[in-house]
Amino acid sequence: MARSYYIFQSGRLRRKGNTLYLEGADSARPSGNEEVDGAVVESADAKEMVLQDGEGSSPADALEHETRGESESMEYEDEDSFAQVSPTDSPQRRIIPIEDVAEIFLFGEITLNTKLLNFFAQKAIPVHVFNYYGFYSGSYYPRETNVSGHLLVKQVEHYTDMAKRLRIAREFARGAYHHLHRNLLYYRNRGKALEDAVCALEQEGEEIERADSIAALMGAEGRMREVYYRAFNEILNLETPFLKRVKRPPDNLINALISFGNSLLYAAVLSQIYRTPLNPTISYLHEPGTRRFSLALDIAEIFKPMIVDKMIFALINRQMIGDDDLIPEVGFAALKERARKVVVQEFEGRLQTTVKHRRLGRHVSYRGFIRLECYKLVRHLLGIEPYQALRAWW
Amino acid sequence: MYVVLVYDVEQERVGKVCQFLRRYLHWVQNSAFEGELSEAQLERVKLGLKGLIDEERDSIYLYILRDARWMRKEVIGRIKGDTESVI
Repeated sequence: MARSYYIFQSGRLRRKGNTLYLEGADSARPSGNEEVDGAVVESADAKEMVLQDGEGSSPADALEHETRGESESMEYEDEDSFAQVSPTDSPQRRIIPIEDVAEIFLFGEITLNTKLLNFFAQKAIPVHVFNYYGFYSGSYYPRETNVSGHLLVKQVEHYTDMAKRLRIAREFARGAYHHLHRNLLYYRNRGKALEDAVCALEQEGEEIERADSIAALMGAEGRMREVYYRAFNEILNLETPFLKRVKRPPDNLINALISFGNSLLYAAVLSQIYRTPLNPTISYLHEPGTRRFSLALDIAEIFKPMIVDKMIFALINRQMIGDDDLIPEVGFAALKERARKVVVQEFEGRLQTTVKHRRLGRHVSYRGFIRLECYKLVRHLLGIEPYQALRAWW
Repeated sequence: MYVVLVYDVEQERVGKVCQFLRRYLHWVQNSAFEGELSEAQLERVKLGLKGLIDEERDSIYLYILRDARWMRKEVIGRIKGDTESVI
């Protein structure tokens, strides 16, 4: 199974030898090598790399390299041993097996060219870009390989017909409600005083069933979140109370974590949609706008509480992240790189958690559940089976 | 499945083999690669290698684990190539 790669390092990402090379521009990463090593690598081209390895390997090896150094004509062999020598020996260079890449998240300052983008398109790898402060900037969404005109027509049909649209949108809202409610119950059963919050949430949950327009549905959804965010104060061990959700930009640690986590999830959902014939711009609960992949927002709504929010509770309560993880100079809350890495590690770990699926009879990861959600939507659109949002049962 | 692959290939072919493997697996040290592969990818790797090596003289060993979870990996000394996906 191909994995997701998160690149925090700055440097150059390039296609070479039909795979990916990440070449660091800065030597920010502490080098485990001797200084001599580093010096050689600075001026590195193939031949010098050979020399560099000579120092670490057997005398026989060194001898080989010496002979090669003498005869310039043996260019071909030179390249061979270069390959054996393992360029990853240098701290600035990392080779990523292209067949192991499902998607890439770029956080660092990366230089790349169209040759690489063509390569990504060929391998159908979406790339998500985050800016200096860790805010989502956009995605490189390669040419669709799984296209279905028939499904697109159905998708639009279900959008334009208000009754059909409301049906799908309501199911998304129900899915979101289920997981919000589940999180609160989880902490109530662990002795947090959340009785009022659970009641209030349940009331709003009933609103979902009553809503007769998308606006009413979105309103119910918004109030649900408001109740839920207020409960954060009870769930989290905070010094300063969490007042309300503030975005663009976030104003405190919790808001920064929610924003960052949601944007990671949003990108991860988009990558899953990319693997299905669904068109990511036609959405049902959110209004399909221009310039954004709003279907990813719809589907992410179901998974936010179970992936992102649970992750935040863990990060804060286990004190993996604290107030000193915010960049101090900026006027809003932005996470330091260290904190971002911690979040990403935790996030990826959660997406890889597996649960035995009752109907499929096999273990499915959370990321797999996102994909299944897309497939269920496809089945609904094609009239095979009515869509039922995921309701975590475990 | 998780695959650990080690090869002993004559010098004239070693570069080709190494370059080919880099597309599928993580380089961990000289002549050793490891990583997660699907059944289909494993077949592709094996087929590709058969085309590159001289089966009379070279040898490639594959250690195949059903799941990386059952693997215990220990390293003594320097970690030369890591397989992390957060870089």
